[in-house]
Amino acid sequence: MDSQMQERSFKVAGHIFSLRMDEKEALWSALDNYAPFIFEGDEERIFTLELVQDLDVDGKEPLYVSTPEEFEQRIDIYTIPDGYVFELAPFGNVPVCGWMKVSSDFSKACLKAEKARRFCINNALMLLYAFRTSGMGTLEMHASVTVKDGHGFLFLGKSGTGKSTHSSLWLKNIPGTHLLNDDNPIVRFIDGETRVYGSPWSGKTPCYRNEDYPVGAFVRINRAPHDAIHRMNLPESFASVSSSSSGLRAIRSIGDGLFATISSIVQSVPCYVMDCLPDDEAAIVCSNEVLKNV
Amino acid sequence: MKIIDGFVLRPLGEEFIVIGEGISQINFNKMISLNSTAAFLWENVEGKDFTVEDLTKLLTDNYEVEEERAAADAAAIAAKWIEAGIVSE
Repeated sequence: MDSQMQERSFKVAGHIFSLRMDEKEALWSALDNYAPFIFEGDEERIFTLELVQDLDVDGKEPLYVSTPEEFEQRIDIYTIPDGYVFELAPFGNVPVCGWMKVSSDFSKACLKAEKARRFCINNALMLLYAFRTSGMGTLEMHASVTVKDGHGFLFLGKSGTGKSTHSSLWLKNIPGTHLLNDDNPIVRFIDGETRVYGSPWSGKTPCYRNEDYPVGAFVRINRAPHDAIHRMNLPESFASVSSSSSGLRAIRSIGDGLFATISSIVQSVPCYVMDCLPDDEAAIVCSNEVLKNV
Repeated sequence: MKIIDGFVLRPLGEEFIVIGEGISQINFNKMISLNSTAAFLWENVEGKDFTVEDLTKLLTDNYEVEEERAAADAAAIAAKWIEAGIVSE
């Protein structure tokens, strides 16, 4: 067969990884979100993902099998003797359409994607990134990030609580702000400093900025009938950042890595909870408080 | 009683927390903060079946405390752990 593999590398928050697919693969042109992150040097890659046509996933034992809601994505995890198998589907009510076999250190992976192939590739790369970097002082977070005065402010909360809405209220009401990422930024604790980085993963908002800033604050968004903000104590801060960070803590090395990183972060950056309405006043109350402590 | 599988004691600054890191605690819905005495008790009963009397004895053997007070503290700690869902009866 006349086909040749092509490899492209990307640098996200300082970590370099590679994607290998057939050079004629149509998906290459559907990965615009990675363009700002293309890397052409020869430094070490933390992992390589290869898109394959056939994949043998026999002998898998369930580690974490989810029960997603109709509109939630499915990510199930199985163990095999020398690693893990991930099964992916974009919604809870459709069959599994992506299978990824991963080495036990998360450095090598093969993906077979039958349907929703762009979803499968993006999620496979996000999973590998989160799992592989968990011991490197790195968090893949679920947050919307706004930049003001050279600092990144991360808005946390479950899907539907209004993280993106709160970001857009800052953009509208606070001069000199811009959006860094709307769904999955990367946060690192390096040399005693907590920094936030844009990524190729930003949910429904196409905002793929290759920029980074020191973190000014983490703010948990809580829908309420009024606008008020207060600072959390250390255990509350830990719970807030931890519940918004990706990674399977039941894998001991990941649990240890995440704990060390989050523990350092919440002792170096203020964490708040913001009770708010989706109104202009919310952005003003929030920014007044968090900007004065930067 | 027994610590429920998957809950781990971690030091956080000068405090201690117990968090769910097992597969059954995947949604991270439970966390409890412990003072250093409670953390000492936790470390000593991890992986074992234990009673309020075991906790009381750990307190009287290791701290300057009257038996009656130790028993009351041990019962309160055990009740708190059970209520938090990190220990089973």
